[in-house]
Amino acid sequence: MTTPTVPEGVLASGVVAGDDWISVTRERIRQTLAALKSEGYESYVFMTCVDHLATPTVQPPPERYELVYQLRNMRTHHELRVRVFVPESDPTLPSVHDVYAPANWDERETWDMFGISFEGHPDLTRILMPDDWVGHPLRRDFPVGGEPVDFSEDHEVWQTAPPEA
Amino acid sequence: MSDTRLEQTDSPGMTITRGPGRGPGDGELLTINFGPQHPSTHGVLRLVVDLDGEVIRTVKPVIGYLHTGIEKQMEALRWQQGVVVTDRHDYLSPPINNLAYALAVERLMGVEAPPRATVLRVIMSELTRISSHLIWLGTSAIELGAMGPFMYCLRDREKVLAMNEEISGYRMHTSYIRPGGVMADATPRFLEMLDAFIGEMPGNIQQYEDLLTHNPIFVERLQGVGYLSAEDAIRLGATGPMIRGSGLPWDLRRDRPYCDYETYDWEVAVEPAGDCYARYLVRIKEFKESVKILRQALDRLPGGPVNVDDRKMLPPPREELETSMEAVIHHFKLFTEGYSPPPGDVYVAVESGRGENGCYIVSDGTHKPRRVKFRAASFVNLQALEHMAIGHMIADFIAIIGTADTVLGDVDR
Amino acid sequence: MGVEQLHDVLGDNILTTTLGKVVGWGRANSVWPAQFGLACCAIEGLMHTVGPGFDIGRFGSEAMRASPRQADLMIVAGRVSQKMAPVLRQIYDQMPEPKWVISMGACASTGGVFNNYAILQGVDKIVPVDVYIPGCPPRPEDVINALMILQEKIKAQGIRPRI
Repeated sequence: MTTPTVPEGVLASGVVAGDDWISVTRERIRQTLAALKSEGYESYVFMTCVDHLATPTVQPPPERYELVYQLRNMRTHHELRVRVFVPESDPTLPSVHDVYAPANWDERETWDMFGISFEGHPDLTRILMPDDWVGHPLRRDFPVGGEPVDFSEDHEVWQTAPPEA
Repeated sequence: MSDTRLEQTDSPGMTITRGPGRGPGDGELLTINFGPQHPSTHGVLRLVVDLDGEVIRTVKPVIGYLHTGIEKQMEALRWQQGVVVTDRHDYLSPPINNLAYALAVERLMGVEAPPRATVLRVIMSELTRISSHLIWLGTSAIELGAMGPFMYCLRDREKVLAMNEEISGYRMHTSYIRPGGVMADATPRFLEMLDAFIGEMPGNIQQYEDLLTHNPIFVERLQGVGYLSAEDAIRLGATGPMIRGSGLPWDLRRDRPYCDYETYDWEVAVEPAGDCYARYLVRIKEFKESVKILRQALDRLPGGPVNVDDRKMLPPPREELETSMEAVIHHFKLFTEGYSPPPGDVYVAVESGRGENGCYIVSDGTHKPRRVKFRAASFVNLQALEHMAIGHMIADFIAIIGTADTVLGDVDR
Repeated sequence: MGVEQLHDVLGDNILTTTLGKVVGWGRANSVWPAQFGLACCAIEGLMHTVGPGFDIGRFGSEAMRASPRQADLMIVAGRVSQKMAPVLRQIYDQMPEPKWVISMGACASTGGVFNNYAILQGVDKIVPVDVYIPGCPPRPEDVINALMILQEKIKAQGIRPRI
């Protein structure tokens, strides 16, 4: 398994459970992805966001939102994960839909579910929820919702929203 | 919308027919709405189509009509409870969804399923691939007017569902493949049913081929329609028969192997033409290759346990609870709190009937996941629909939607 | 002439009944479902029930109409999401009277496995349901059973208009 020449501006890199990853700043994300694409990582697998609100691990991540791009080199069969951390106060970063076409819908879904806005995206609208939905469901502080289950403590703890003050 | 699409180059050895159409600006465009309730969209998909006469100028898919909040639901369930929910996103291939999740959790936990479980997983995956392609074949054919194959496909699918029921108790959402192994061992009756199925399936596949492959109407409707070049397939992220039908032999079972697929003797189904007919041929070949793999898996099924022997992950057998205090404690902890993989994230992809079906899980060290993301093959394949459909007529559009084989549960999750 | 004399003259070639029974019998044995398959239940309940193993055609219902205006039964097969709920109500409104609704599966009846923000917790929040079928997904035989229960309900309704 060949590792790519690490593009400049990489903050950190590592291996987790057999998967290689690198981490970059959001200002360099477009350059990094374009450089990786020209190096052979032409196949875009997916992009998603992880919300690290109130994570109990010993070493907390640098920011609340972590965007994860998974790329694949179809010739060497090597996969690489690119991480970008985005702060809660300013959840924006540049769009990569012109570098990788399938990112178009993934970025719309990330906007819909997490509220991360992508600068330069042609049509950043909700894709899964109705257009008039309020809130971003996959954020950790958005309750799971649904119907309250009578007499279930487990349900009250994580499912229903806290009562309006 | 550039009008160079009307002058797209022909694929080698074949002329792509385009409707006469007028140039842009010659007349008004008619915007029509397909769905979300529509017999031919294979689910609740809404397509807003701009038409110039009968010729399609733009296609805008509107999805979200089946958004179930599966990813949020899994954050609220324990790791072992999540298996039940994974069945339901790509609802035509539940065991394959289970497999992606199970492999990812096992990778994080650092365990490996025993050999008998691995072979049973291969058997269930291939049976599911066959049953998923049967629905594709039946529904695609019936949309083009061929009503007979639909009934034949359901006849064969009933046999697969009967086998599912024998091994797991459920016809569809088996939740059979779980982190650590499989739900239960295969019964002798299951193995008999599988043997009989493998024996008669090649004859049934020949029946479908006799009905459709050289049928002049079927060929006329599929050949030259919905062309996707190899470069565009990679650029748009298409996987599965969408990319193999364009000449690229990319199959995760061979290129990023899991469950020992590289040790079986089978071929990747590839066709060079890039149109709907090529994708049809790819899937027919995949039927045959799946039967081959099933035969080999059944022959090599080893003995042994079907679950990893790790009491921190899987409960002890019921008999042990009567004699061992430690077993009772393990049982209690697993069913009240559940196991906690070490912090980290992992992505595992498996090849489902429609392409790369992957599971990206993030663990923060607790007994519930921080994030579970399903990389849905249909979500990405659907983005290629517009590219394939521009310049075709409405009737061809139905054939193209059928060939993309999208499952809306997968698209919307 | 009275009915008894009529019977003596014409023998056993006459069947007397009420209009309500005839109408109920006719309606019950030709219930045409609208294709409203949303998710997994559609495969089991709409496709396999029509298929050769279970054949709902024996009950007169294999004509699953794509257009709601030609259907009288809506089998809500699958989970109803927030975006789909107004569409479901619109389809229900487009069906002509008399019409019935079978809520198939756990997701349509109560929200099923998915007790969350995205799924309507029971389709009976927006349409009136006649028969509920539990299961995830229910077997095709369960769907046929529900259809038979509905047939009894239709026969009992006769020509009385639904309120």
